[in-house]
Amino acid sequence: MASVTLEGITKRYEDVTAVDNMNLEIRDGEFVTFVGPSGCGKSTTMETIAGLTLPTEGRIDIGGRDVTNLPPKDRGISMVFQNIALFPHMDVYDNISFGLRLRKYEQEEVDRRVQEAADIVQLEGMMDRMPKEMSGGQRQRVAIARAIVRKPDAFLMDEPLANLDAELKVHMRTQLQRLHRELDTTIIYVTHDQAQAMTMSDRIAVIDTGVLQQVAPPLECYNEPANLFVAGFIGSPAMNFLEGEVVDDGFESEYTNFDFAPATHGVRTGQEITVGVRPEDVYLERDAQKAASPTKAFDAVVDVVEPMGSELFVYLLFDRDVETSAEGRGEGQLLINLSPDAQIAEGDDIRVVMDRKKTHLFDRESGDAITHTLE
Amino acid sequence: MSDRRVDDAEPTAVADGGVAEGSAGGQPALDETADEPELDRGLIEAWAAKMISNPDRAYRATFYVATIFFLVTTLFPFYWLLMVALTPRGSLSDVGVLTPGGFNPIAFIEIFQMLPFHRYVFNSFLIATIATVAVLLVGSLAGYVFGRLRFRGRNVLLLAVLVTSFFPPAAFFIPLNRLFNRNVDALRPLISDGSLYNTPYAIFIPLSAIFLPLSIFILMTFYSQIPDGLEDAARVEGTTRLGALFRVIVPLSAPGVATAGVLTFISVYNEYFFSSLMTDGRPGSWAPMLEGILRFQGEFEVLFNLMAAASIVAVLPVAILVIVAQEKIVSGLTSGAVKE
Repeated sequence: MASVTLEGITKRYEDVTAVDNMNLEIRDGEFVTFVGPSGCGKSTTMETIAGLTLPTEGRIDIGGRDVTNLPPKDRGISMVFQNIALFPHMDVYDNISFGLRLRKYEQEEVDRRVQEAADIVQLEGMMDRMPKEMSGGQRQRVAIARAIVRKPDAFLMDEPLANLDAELKVHMRTQLQRLHRELDTTIIYVTHDQAQAMTMSDRIAVIDTGVLQQVAPPLECYNEPANLFVAGFIGSPAMNFLEGEVVDDGFESEYTNFDFAPATHGVRTGQEITVGVRPEDVYLERDAQKAASPTKAFDAVVDVVEPMGSELFVYLLFDRDVETSAEGRGEGQLLINLSPDAQIAEGDDIRVVMDRKKTHLFDRESGDAITHTLE
Repeated sequence: MSDRRVDDAEPTAVADGGVAEGSAGGQPALDETADEPELDRGLIEAWAAKMISNPDRAYRATFYVATIFFLVTTLFPFYWLLMVALTPRGSLSDVGVLTPGGFNPIAFIEIFQMLPFHRYVFNSFLIATIATVAVLLVGSLAGYVFGRLRFRGRNVLLLAVLVTSFFPPAAFFIPLNRLFNRNVDALRPLISDGSLYNTPYAIFIPLSAIFLPLSIFILMTFYSQIPDGLEDAARVEGTTRLGALFRVIVPLSAPGVATAGVLTFISVYNEYFFSSLMTDGRPGSWAPMLEGILRFQGEFEVLFNLMAAASIVAVLPVAILVIVAQEKIVSGLTSGAVKE
């Protein structure tokens, strides 16, 4: 058990900077998830913590000890890999005990610890199986047992659930949370799947293009995203963005406008901003009382209705002439989230309101959040 | 106008009878002609036609022809060697193509009585074993670097390594021979007179170097295919890079290691040029089995039956090795490219 501290970690390859000046302090026993799109540098950051690659600049402390230049084996960490990485030529017992045997533990101690680890991940009676005779979920459990058997200071998990099927993924997710509670060890987890990040972590570190965007508890990242990237990345389906500019008494874009007092939010007239609103914070006009502080109503046309069972995703166009793009949700489109009993059909003309309390403003130039609620 | 006349003429031609056989049934007639030539073709032409219509038979026939040719050219000399070995010394001129000129199995014992032939075989075996171990060890390190690490100048360096195997070994002989015949003071603690001539080093050092590039290449292709995750896992679990190489990468590349090892062993064991020139030919001077076989060639008489018997005995260690390692070698030679 130990804290992990990154100080100004930078990893540069010949022409790209994979990780750029990352500072992060992970507390003892904390479950922190690195999340971001593929190629954002989250795995590289994890590899520098593991010691599999050395950072170009910066310093890494684990448990108060400078480990920046130590080889992986001396860092007191263990790791679970995306491709599971069990040694194919060893049976389950040999795989789990590999690290202990290398460290010349007494045979009895090895047996006891392997048994203990196998109990935790429920692998009884499989000790002499070879990895290729096991299912994906079983292999993953062996990999976890191999990681916990050495009682490391910190666990690193690099997309450990990525290769499992959807059902198993959800099951393993709860298993991992239970494991974290039982072991009470620092866990650093890498994933591009924000559902895993949201459900398991104490804090999530959102990374994009090698830069740390926000480090905060999951709900804080969701409710108070630090910038446009975090706002768009966290949350599924993603937040709606409306690009426009500040006018004397509010916000105006090509399709919409609403009132707010620019001065109280520190924006000036003429400033280019992006308004963000989550799908669940947009309501039909007839449900306007559900919003804490509704804006005025906008006209919209129902484009596509996606019934999900527990809810309805409704894609709206502000105007019949708005061109939809295959690239994603563009200007003039709005995704809203309605209860499944909403009587709504494709092609309907409807009126919607946004909840001012849950409306985010971002500065378009820097992407930074200005406010997360309108007065 | 003329078109019409042809149209009119056609039915008559069919009705004629003679032509009908070929064209009866319209389109399918084409297939029939391919199968059953109505012309009298020669035997070979008919056979060729059959092969064209049924390529599987052709492939099978080619397979048998090639296999039999290969077996005859490789196994027959060995068989004939046995025939010569069994022929008594006095009737060597009576050796037939398929039968011996007598029956004298004592030759297989005589070779050990006339000369310490077992010593020659042992020398060869030892030299080949040391060379194999050295090649696998160095080749594993080099194969790891070339197969798994990225660094500037990697391709140039690999090319340089491979190029050395393109030189004829004879090109190295003169400098090496002079070097090994010199008394090097630094070696005196190891070798009494400080010269490598007449020691096993004189043979296995140049031969290891010559057969190393091939092994590096084989091992490189195998090692490069072991997923990075496994090496990372081993390093996180507590090995160094070297530890990961020998505990994880090498065991998983067993077919490749066996292939490289057996190829090196056979090559060194069978090698002629350096083996015959780097020692004075006496068994105590670490002369290899090749020298032993040549020793049955006297000034006035060549004891072909003993040479043949010695050759057969000399082949045995390699034959046994290949039979033991066969499974791995075959999978190594064929499966290297598609492993995981």
